[in-house]
Amino acid sequence: MSNETVNRIKGLVGEGNVVDSPSAMARYLKGQGRPLAVAMPGNTAEVAEIVKLANEEGLKIAVGGRVVESRGLDGGLALVMSRMNQVLEIDHANLTATVQPGLAHTEFSRILAEQNLVFPPEPNVPKTGSVGGCFALGEADSQAFQYMPVRTYLLGYEMVLPNGDILEVGNKCIKNVSGYDLIHFAVGSRGTLGIFTRLLVKLLPPPAVKMALVADFASLPKACQAMATLIRRRIFPTRLNLLNPALAAGIDPGSKGNLVMVDLTGFKNSTELLAEEIAGIFHLAGSSEVQAVKEAEGYAKLWQGWLDLRGELNTTWAERVIDFNVGPMKLAAALQALTEITGDLGAYPGLVAEGLLGRVRLLLPAAGEREEMAVKVNALAMSFGGNVSGNFGSKLVCRAYNDAEMWEGIESLLGQIRRQFDPKGILAPGVSL
Amino acid sequence: MTEKDVVERLEEIVGKKNVQADKIGLTSYGYDATLLSGVGMATVFPLSTEHVVKLVKLANEAGFTLIPRGAGTNLSGGTIPDGRCVTVNFSRMKKILDIDTENFVAVVEPGLVNFDLQAELEKKGFYYPPDPASYKATTLGGNLAECSGGPRCFKYGVTRDYILGLEVVLPDGKVIQTGGRNFNSEPGYDLTRILVGSEGTLALLTKIFLRILPLPAAKKTMLAIYNQVEDASQTVSDIVAAGIVPTTLEMMDNLLINTAEDATGAGLPRDAGALLIIEIDGHPEDMDEQVETIAGICKKARVREFKMARTAAEVDQLWLARRVVIGSVARRRPSYSLQDITVPRSMFPNMVSGILQIAKERNLEVGILAHAGDGNMHPLVLFDQRIEEEVERVHLAEKDICALALELGGTLSGEHGIGLLKKKYLTLEFSPVAMACFAKIKNSFDPRHLLNPGKIMNL
Ligand SMILES: Cc1cc2nc3c(=O)[nH]c(=O)nc-3n(C[C@H](O)[C@H](O)[C@H](O)COP(=O)(O)OP(=O)(O)OC[C@H]3O[C@@H](n4cnc5c(N)ncnc54)[C@H](O)[C@@H]3O)c2cc1C
Repeated sequence: MSNETVNRIKGLVGEGNVVDSPSAMARYLKGQGRPLAVAMPGNTAEVAEIVKLANEEGLKIAVGGRVVESRGLDGGLALVMSRMNQVLEIDHANLTATVQPGLAHTEFSRILAEQNLVFPPEPNVPKTGSVGGCFALGEADSQAFQYMPVRTYLLGYEMVLPNGDILEVGNKCIKNVSGYDLIHFAVGSRGTLGIFTRLLVKLLPPPAVKMALVADFASLPKACQAMATLIRRRIFPTRLNLLNPALAAGIDPGSKGNLVMVDLTGFKNSTELLAEEIAGIFHLAGSSEVQAVKEAEGYAKLWQGWLDLRGELNTTWAERVIDFNVGPMKLAAALQALTEITGDLGAYPGLVAEGLLGRVRLLLPAAGEREEMAVKVNALAMSFGGNVSGNFGSKLVCRAYNDAEMWEGIESLLGQIRRQFDPKGILAPGVSL
Repeated sequence: MTEKDVVERLEEIVGKKNVQADKIGLTSYGYDATLLSGVGMATVFPLSTEHVVKLVKLANEAGFTLIPRGAGTNLSGGTIPDGRCVTVNFSRMKKILDIDTENFVAVVEPGLVNFDLQAELEKKGFYYPPDPASYKATTLGGNLAECSGGPRCFKYGVTRDYILGLEVVLPDGKVIQTGGRNFNSEPGYDLTRILVGSEGTLALLTKIFLRILPLPAAKKTMLAIYNQVEDASQTVSDIVAAGIVPTTLEMMDNLLINTAEDATGAGLPRDAGALLIIEIDGHPEDMDEQVETIAGICKKARVREFKMARTAAEVDQLWLARRVVIGSVARRRPSYSLQDITVPRSMFPNMVSGILQIAKERNLEVGILAHAGDGNMHPLVLFDQRIEEEVERVHLAEKDICALALELGGTLSGEHGIGLLKKKYLTLEFSPVAMACFAKIKNSFDPRHLLNPGKIMNL
């Protein structure tokens, strides 16, 4: 990108909204890529103009809420959406909100709380995550058993496509099967299909009561057994998360062993009964201490700790994380088998399990061994009916089945869709599908 | 390849008894639950993924198209054959491959009937939430391809929310798996989601990984009768705002109360404006509190009669009118056209009065049935198929209803799909840019337009 291009971009969004000195750009970027500028568009029209310009000049663009992944962006343009951060509407009658994508996820939650409403998805990274980013990544979070995956909360959007066209889909109807489901398809597309410029999201009224239980287990297998007992007894809390000692210490400095964190949200009567029943089960299963957290402040602090940890796993530690799924009831056996690869998990740098989803995140000692470990872990996960997440995991599954044709089929289809939408390969150069 | 050669090759693939190419066979599979029909070259019943792969390869080689079909109960013209095409009837691929209640997954073939799965699950204390009213006949493949909903979807969501993964045969004959047994297995794009609701136009489903749930421990059924529709819809809004999410909020209007009463003589007041069936489920300890809140809300909305079922027999009694209602209109007129639009919940009263206005203008009888919680309405337009002029007016009313739904911020289809029937209206809802995106999706999967051509949109 030449100076002249930077000047044209300045002309589009205003001089003050473009940063092009490396030192000033640093705070908006992560990764090693070296874009020539960071631009902060203020509205949809500006985004569309920038994308059109990028088409003319063959410029690559990557987008972020407040921080942009710079991988593959050498000589390209980073778009930071933080100026497009408004709540445009909160519709109490239909339980929806219309927001701009750069709105900080935690700020959105705060505004809604004031109006007695909830947007359930967990922020990917509490400090920097935006609502746009939440849907662009679109993971299922640890509340998904009860509240369903993140995509459930997207009802519609406006998006600037890679050719500069503006796409609008969706409405305030929960039930909508008109045309292909572009709405939910966009969730998790990681900025490759287009740039969200407005989002219509679904909200919920808050639960009548919220409380938490925190149980300390010296033994990891016993903690897993305790979680399995809940499921067998058909007790499904909102969250049922397990941390090994290394990570537990970050949440509860007093903890000695593995921590099981239970979140209960719902009606008063059943929630109180369940809390008692769960505490009883945990004691019987060998927990040395079960703490009930009922007052609002302690409850909020506890789950903020969880969200911050999740944020670390998604950012600082991302290169060291292997993420896999097995059936929820297979967790105990899978973790037992995992120790043959990792050694004692109690002493491992990190282990997080989302009990109701059977999802495990393993924090490796070092990033270098990730690929090799993923191959081993995937073989293990497959023997428990699961696999390592993401497209790398999918590739490993195909490889394990010796099904090159299947992988080729998936890869060519993903590539075909991406080319249909972005024939010049402009958007999200760092994202490989 | 001549038609005769095609039929022979089909027979080689799946065996003679799994191909029908005679007149009876062609007619039997030439229609669906709409008034449309058509004729293709043959209907073939694959028994395995392998069969499906071979069929797709043959279709590519011999240059014919494929029309996937489940039970043929769709209300959009989604399985109507036309010309040089072969109907792929999945009704013989109906095995349950796995029910894993501990991990909340069932793996099935697409031709399995929704009810047959429910029956097996119930033995284990589980169920699969999406429950289209037609669930006794419809296949899970058909449900998936239409993204079907049903009465209890207000709380539990639609088909889309219960599909974890798929095995599909792509139009080039490759077999791929999308998603898996849990929420987090999707590689790259969420291919599972774009396949849900794709109406048989992108790929052929051969295996489905479904999310299943334990049956709720407690359930309460209530019936509320109102003088006016507005009061019923006020009730719906207030229940939702109170943080209660009923499984079911079914509404019937005055006309349908009367046809149901004609059929059952159950004692519904014929001058009532609307009735609501309200069902909640969850923990036994929470039921009383919620029933009390709901009763209070109904009262505030000037309910004239409020009943709660105390026994299973009473539950059946409360559901009776709703169960018979579609059939009951046949006493009034010989044909009906079942519409399917959704509007935002707040627009519900406007849509109801708008529909009644349209009925008046077009001089037609229209009854309104609705999944009121999510604003999904099924106006039943009554008519006589033999009166051509009346059929014309029905089509005009259909168009008016669609246009009004869009004007109120709604959508053309809440759960029945677009198919052939509504594709002419699609551009009223979607901009040229959105239509171009649909084409991009179709062309990525099926560049040769081999699967269900002409459904959803013309390309
Ligand atoms: C009385 C009545 C009540 C109804 N109630 C409801 C209701 O409450 N809610 C609701 O949502 N719908 C309802 N419907 C509509 C209909 O039953 C649903 O759309 C149902 O899901 C269709 O299933 P099917 O097996 O009959 O599929 P079909 O009608 O055979 O096919 C439907 C679509 O699926 C495609 N398809 C089928 N199998 C496959 C496959 N293996 N691979 C790829 N594509 C495939 C077909 O090409 C077609 O596009 C009702 C219909 C009737 C007649």
